[in-house]
Amino acid sequence: MFEFLLNPIYQGWIVQGLLLTVEITLFGVLLGLILGTLLAIGDIYGGKLAKGAIAVYVEIFRGSPLFVQLFLAVYTVPAILNVQIDHYFLAFLVFGLNSAGYQKGYMKGAMETILGDQMQAGLSTGMSKVQTLRHVILPQALRIVIPSWTNEFCSLTKSTATLAYVGLFDLVSAGMAIKGITYQILPVWIVIGAIYLVWITGFSKIMDMIYERKKIPGIELVMQS
Amino acid sequence: MTDLVMEARNVYKAYHSKIKKKEADSCGETPKQVVEAVKNVSLQIRKGDIKLIFGPSGSGKSTFLRCMAMLDIPDKGEIYLGAECLTKPGADLNKARARIGFVFQHIYLFRHLTALGNVELALRQVLKLPKEEARKRALAALTEVKVTDCINKYPAQMSGGQAQRVGIARAIARNPDIILLDEPTSALDPELTGEVIDTLRDLAKEGTTMLIVSHEMPFAREVAEEMIFYDEGKIVETGPPSLFFNAPNTDRAKQFMTRIINRTTRE
Amino acid sequence: MDVWQQLTFLLGGVPLTLSISVLSFLIGIAIGLPLAFVRAYEKEVAFLVSAYEKVFRGVPEIVLMLLFYFGLGPIFPFPFSNAFFVAAFVLGLRSGANQSQIYRGAIRGVGDEQMIAGVSIGLSKWRAIWHIMVPQVFNYSTAGLGSEYALLIKDSAYVYVIGLAELMTKAIQLKSIPPGDFVTPFVLSAVLYIALTFPIAFSLDRWGNKRKKKIGL
Repeated sequence: MFEFLLNPIYQGWIVQGLLLTVEITLFGVLLGLILGTLLAIGDIYGGKLAKGAIAVYVEIFRGSPLFVQLFLAVYTVPAILNVQIDHYFLAFLVFGLNSAGYQKGYMKGAMETILGDQMQAGLSTGMSKVQTLRHVILPQALRIVIPSWTNEFCSLTKSTATLAYVGLFDLVSAGMAIKGITYQILPVWIVIGAIYLVWITGFSKIMDMIYERKKIPGIELVMQS
Repeated sequence: MTDLVMEARNVYKAYHSKIKKKEADSCGETPKQVVEAVKNVSLQIRKGDIKLIFGPSGSGKSTFLRCMAMLDIPDKGEIYLGAECLTKPGADLNKARARIGFVFQHIYLFRHLTALGNVELALRQVLKLPKEEARKRALAALTEVKVTDCINKYPAQMSGGQAQRVGIARAIARNPDIILLDEPTSALDPELTGEVIDTLRDLAKEGTTMLIVSHEMPFAREVAEEMIFYDEGKIVETGPPSLFFNAPNTDRAKQFMTRIINRTTRE
Repeated sequence: MDVWQQLTFLLGGVPLTLSISVLSFLIGIAIGLPLAFVRAYEKEVAFLVSAYEKVFRGVPEIVLMLLFYFGLGPIFPFPFSNAFFVAAFVLGLRSGANQSQIYRGAIRGVGDEQMIAGVSIGLSKWRAIWHIMVPQVFNYSTAGLGSEYALLIKDSAYVYVIGLAELMTKAIQLKSIPPGDFVTPFVLSAVLYIALTFPIAFSLDRWGNKRKKKIGL
């Protein structure tokens, strides 16, 4: 049943698929972090217009399935612009933009719990608002959102299973290719599922350890449920 | 001996507590500490008794009271409710607690229920009374503690004094054999303690059996038949209020009384 | 096809989207609530609950659907060859894992003292949980449940991979009708999803906040 695991060709496919899954997730989370932080700052300090625009952005990316967003990027955007765009790049973009919608919320929550007195303390030392943000608020906020990142990372990794349906070779594609030759449908999906499970669980463990090491006593994000 | 309502025999309870964070930080680790809150304490309560336990904070009084209601399970010793041993394996603790009223220091009203709902719940679910009967008795209990004006309010909408009287109503509504009160006034603002004390005074007049942990000395002098000085997990001295207010036998009780009376008169 | 015809066609997928998400949400409650209390109050078996949560939060829904439908379906035609069953089953189990975490946070938030007070009036442990904790836990977790329900609506798009004709599948079908409109179907379906998720999460959140204020949580 599980003999296909011993075949070097299939092993190569699995590794190739896993690499794509990991790449898109990590780049996505990173782009999401940068964009999400900017959106959070914009939402806290921006004018009415900026706030409104950010709210619309968040609602679009959190209100519709990533699956649909992926199809929009891969089919609709090139059709409108009338150009060919690399699917890999588009997928990376979609995962980043989508993740930014969520990470904006985490960063905003984290910054708001810190802002009040810490901002005043920063200003009282003669730092500018931007400097205080950069040296006081963000270092604290980034630490306390680590658990939220871990969640975000898990859910993005799971979402990469959609990549197979826009022609990218991810883990699910690897599974389909192997199953197409061996016909070991159940064993293949069990193996693929197990790889995701090990990768996600292992990565969360590492993130938890980082959080424990980086955590500052007395600062914790009380997330609403 | 038939009028014995509750008895504690050589009750012992210890728990582990982490040393407070500040101290722990300075020595770089978090050692655990065994606190012996109740060290072989025995106590008998007869029908109609009103006994008052007092002593320094952290001495284990509340733990002892929780043990009496089996809200904390004693490590050693026996608790009797009437003839029934509650510490024996297999004892029906839920049934027993239905016969013991408990009033908490921090009130602990059910936050999702109105005053009426708080009192009714046990009548319906534990005593299995029909709806109207439960309502009648709940209203009677709420009337007795004089909070009829907030029967439809949620705990968050009540003052501390009102909430605690609802807490008392919740304890008395099912006509328990005894009511245990754990510092019922100490979490309240000073100006609100009076209304709760009045309620307790009324209960005392009706001959309710009560075991109270409290530092309200004027109240103790007025209603308690016996005062129990509790320190470091042990009953140090017992006697009528007159004994403690005039000349306690033990030095520790003497010191404590002086401190507490000075504090009260200063206020 | 003009836009209206396309919209009508897509709307045909909405009932399936809604029924999958509602059903899996209910399954999620039925699984998540007991699990949360077991994990909070039965320390000896808490690790089983945590393992369950790890599995369903660590394997993609798409892979689970492929596994149950194509992998187990031929072996156990009943019930796994029924795509609708597999969809609700997988999303329901997954939601159970998520909801268990939501409720566990709520149990912590409601606090141990509520349990102690419940036991003090003579209720047994599980009756105290039912009468005292459960109602408050629901009040406490409305915001989390709102986003969980929205998540289920979005995740119901995954059932495309096992061929159920809900909103997402309908959009892909539309795209494939010659000459092939790559724009309207996906834009419309995204708008429909937003229209489905927005009001639910929003109103649950507001209702929950009001209710929480009222009972002082």
